[in-house]
Amino acid sequence: MSTRAVSIGEWLSSRRVAPYLFVAPIIVFGLAFFVGPLLFAAFVSLTDWDGLGHPRWVGLGNYLYLAVTDRFFLKSILNTFYFAFGSVAVGVPAALVTAAIIARSKYQAFWRTVYWLPMVTNIVAIAYIWKFVLADTNGLVNRALGVVGLPEPNWLTSPSISMLSVILVAAWMSLGHNILLFLTGLNNVDQSYYEAAEIDGANAVQLFRHVTIPLLMPTILFVLITSFIAALSSFALMLILTEGGPVRSTTVTGLYLYDMAFTDLRLGRASAAAYVLSAIILTISLVQLRLFRRGGVEAH
Amino acid sequence: MATNRSVRLRLPTIFRYAALSAGAVLMIAPFLDMILGALRTPAEQLAIPQVYWPHTPQWGNFARVFTELPMTRWLTNSIVVTLSITALQIVTSAMAGYALAKYRFAGSRFLLSGVLGAQMFPFFLLIIPIFFLLRFVPLAGGNDQLGAGGNGLLGSYMALILPFAVTWYGVFLMRQFFMSVPDEIIDAARIDGAGEFRIFTSIALPLVRPGLATLGIFVFIYQWNEVIWTMTVTRGAPQLQTLPVGIYLLRGAFADQSTESLQRAAICISVIPIMVVFLLLQRFYIRGLTAGSVKG
Amino acid sequence: MAWLLRRAKGLALFVAAAASAAGPARTQMPITIKVATHYNAKQSAPLLACFSQYEASHPGVRIVHQQVSYRDFLQTTLISRLGGSPVDIYNLYSIWAPQLIGMRALDLPPPDIERFVRSSYKQSTVAAASIGGRLYGIPSAVSVYQLAFNRRLLTAAGVAEPPRTWSELERTAAAITRKNRGGNIVVGGYAYGQSVANVTHVFYAQMYAAGVAPYTPDLRGTNLRSPVAVGILQRQAELFRKGITSNSIQTRDFTGGAVGMTVIANWQKDMLRAAFGPRFEETVGIAPIPTDGPGGTMIYSFFWGVDAASRVKRQAWELLRWLNTARTPGGLSCTGAMLAGMGDLTGNTQDLSAMADRIADPFSRHFLAALNAPGAASQANVWHADEVDRLLKYYIEMAWAGRMSSAAALAEADSEIQAILKEQP
Repeated sequence: MSTRAVSIGEWLSSRRVAPYLFVAPIIVFGLAFFVGPLLFAAFVSLTDWDGLGHPRWVGLGNYLYLAVTDRFFLKSILNTFYFAFGSVAVGVPAALVTAAIIARSKYQAFWRTVYWLPMVTNIVAIAYIWKFVLADTNGLVNRALGVVGLPEPNWLTSPSISMLSVILVAAWMSLGHNILLFLTGLNNVDQSYYEAAEIDGANAVQLFRHVTIPLLMPTILFVLITSFIAALSSFALMLILTEGGPVRSTTVTGLYLYDMAFTDLRLGRASAAAYVLSAIILTISLVQLRLFRRGGVEAH
Repeated sequence: MATNRSVRLRLPTIFRYAALSAGAVLMIAPFLDMILGALRTPAEQLAIPQVYWPHTPQWGNFARVFTELPMTRWLTNSIVVTLSITALQIVTSAMAGYALAKYRFAGSRFLLSGVLGAQMFPFFLLIIPIFFLLRFVPLAGGNDQLGAGGNGLLGSYMALILPFAVTWYGVFLMRQFFMSVPDEIIDAARIDGAGEFRIFTSIALPLVRPGLATLGIFVFIYQWNEVIWTMTVTRGAPQLQTLPVGIYLLRGAFADQSTESLQRAAICISVIPIMVVFLLLQRFYIRGLTAGSVKG
Repeated sequence: MAWLLRRAKGLALFVAAAASAAGPARTQMPITIKVATHYNAKQSAPLLACFSQYEASHPGVRIVHQQVSYRDFLQTTLISRLGGSPVDIYNLYSIWAPQLIGMRALDLPPPDIERFVRSSYKQSTVAAASIGGRLYGIPSAVSVYQLAFNRRLLTAAGVAEPPRTWSELERTAAAITRKNRGGNIVVGGYAYGQSVANVTHVFYAQMYAAGVAPYTPDLRGTNLRSPVAVGILQRQAELFRKGITSNSIQTRDFTGGAVGMTVIANWQKDMLRAAFGPRFEETVGIAPIPTDGPGGTMIYSFFWGVDAASRVKRQAWELLRWLNTARTPGGLSCTGAMLAGMGDLTGNTQDLSAMADRIADPFSRHFLAALNAPGAASQANVWHADEVDRLLKYYIEMAWAGRMSSAAALAEADSEIQAILKEQP
């Protein structure tokens, strides 16, 4: 049909074939490391399996167990949400205010770097650093409180505030990243808004409330929601910092199912738990997409 | 960037700097606490109340960590694994991102929504199945043609690298970057007779360099700190443990308080070099990051 | 093609192995034996020295030691098995055995090893290494819980003798406990901890001391609802409620002299000796676990086992026998040398007599006496013990934190644990 023979090389780099080659790696990967595993996990969640013998079909038994019999699964989900809400509620406003102050200060690069340090620190180190800093009697925080004569809380050993401590550490850890995102947003804000407001005699707090926040809304939404979703699926910090304790007060679902899978070898039940939590996260993500569209965060 | 006048909160300057400095103390003090902890003697560690400032700093603790723990091996593993993943993810993201941005082909829309959708799945859902997938790879790691008998890929670096060969977020990010490359340049190159791969490598890629840098840095930081997967896979293959996982799994060796200083020294070593590298390089990556989120 | 080649290679290997097994002049193929223990570098030094010695006298044998921390040991063993890369030899806590045997992970010792064990070890340790009447390995460490007390702290608080009953314990602990201005305990009269061993196993020990075993003899039920169990938990929770103890201090703080009394096991001797230095003997005292019952304690044991999937089972058992037999008459075996170094005990009768001079001090004498006292009982090797112990720990802590009554906590624990025990094949 064609007038001259096309070499294989030319055929491969033709406009018709090349795009498929470009996406071939992610398709192969997607099938092997995403679609396949998802299906496999779905199958396992319908069985009773210890990972070695033959899986025994139990239908929806594992899901039923989690919903009805398991006395801690629901609590672990509540813990998960407590952590996610808390870390966002503490971390994002702190980052926003800090970013707003940095944005109008000298030595921006210096401040940014200081607040960025935890981002390049591995989570094992972060957990241990804080384990020592928050220790009841010898920890830096309680030593400092003791010098001033303030009460010294049992940050990590009291079940009523341990999750709060984990939340504070998580917020500390992600502060730099969020500050960076907010700074970028702030630096793109058109300064004429501020000039106009200043002429009207607005003070600092009013400026922040009525100019900065509305203008940054897309970025704020983006940071809020992505942090929330990331927090729902994270458990490494609890694993290392508190091992889920005391009294399971920091056992989030991810951590709960990790032990279920790899210490108790209840792989079916653990897969079911993973699917339940994933379904929750997926639902929230879809709602988020809607919100983004309405909030004008398409660019992100 | 140096000073930004666009946001004018009229707080007193003193208050602003005081607040920033207080914040800075909160950020830095925990790290200093760890360094002090690494320098205490066991006696100072055990004293009641504990001695805070070490009288004779035990700098030797840092050397002891290297002789008593396989720090060098952990460090090597961390570097090999993190760099391999970063390179792989940059390549796969750039290729796929380019195709999704610049071509309409059968299934391209479907693929794009797949990429977006896949991002939403938490990784812990995949831990169990991927673990078994790697274990039953036929003819690898002593396995027979049916995938039984050995440990498949679990005993090799592949187990730590392959599951992270692609980042869905990265594919999407690179697509956004390639969207901003003008079609005219690409079409002009086509008219000049350049093949699609030539256009990709010598025209499109150079234009998204900031995007590649952004992605690379994000991936590097994320993977350098990855713990859950590595910890799971390297239980049966301690020779593959990375720095954070190695330190975590050897916490039993620091069971009593007299050896806590050593543990802290090991932690310092896992933190400080990478911090220095990032401080030295920050001129480059901060620009990439900000560029990335401006038009991300 | 590839698999055909592999088949051929496999066949060749098989033939070679068969030949080497049959031939009198055993042309040894080089093999590697992987050994996993939870002992740290210092503790395992004598063992590692033995490995080198064995390698020297057995050309072609390489021994790799894998140190896995105690808290990760079971999980690491299970994940390695799931991943198809188990080690060849484990030093196992006996309570892990039922779960491992349930997944067919442990090899049965060959007859000569079984004969060796039955003739050279004390009956109680042989029982601990046996599940369902079958022996699964060679006993190693034997530990027993006792009350450790800091004499200086007791004297400073005006107490001359260690407590014998719960009321005495509470009074003594209250007299010792000191808090700082912030309300945190700086010196604790009595300490628990946050690990399963510090919480659950100590609770078991107190149940045994009170004369009630935590589990029924058939290992399918518990006695957690018994008044004795509820009473113990109530007394424990009171210590927390009254601020005599708290989570701010733990068993491990005993080494630093910040704890007046706590329940420990004998293997901590070396660690304590290192921490207290020359003041060890005059400071650290050992006494029976305070109880209102007839008295007693819990014994727990480790044993050497071989993985059922190991490719070098025969050599592994051979190595184990070598490690557990004294080289010189009246001397210590390799395992014995390691255990003696830590201050641990053993069920190996020869080792016990060889380490007699090392365990003649008051510290070890107390533990040895407790081990042989009539009230001392071996920890029950129940199904999924790790899971069960973690569950019970949760409920005990609920009571400590005052979030549940002791009776309600133990009732919940009982019904959840029963459900797990029922799964036992």
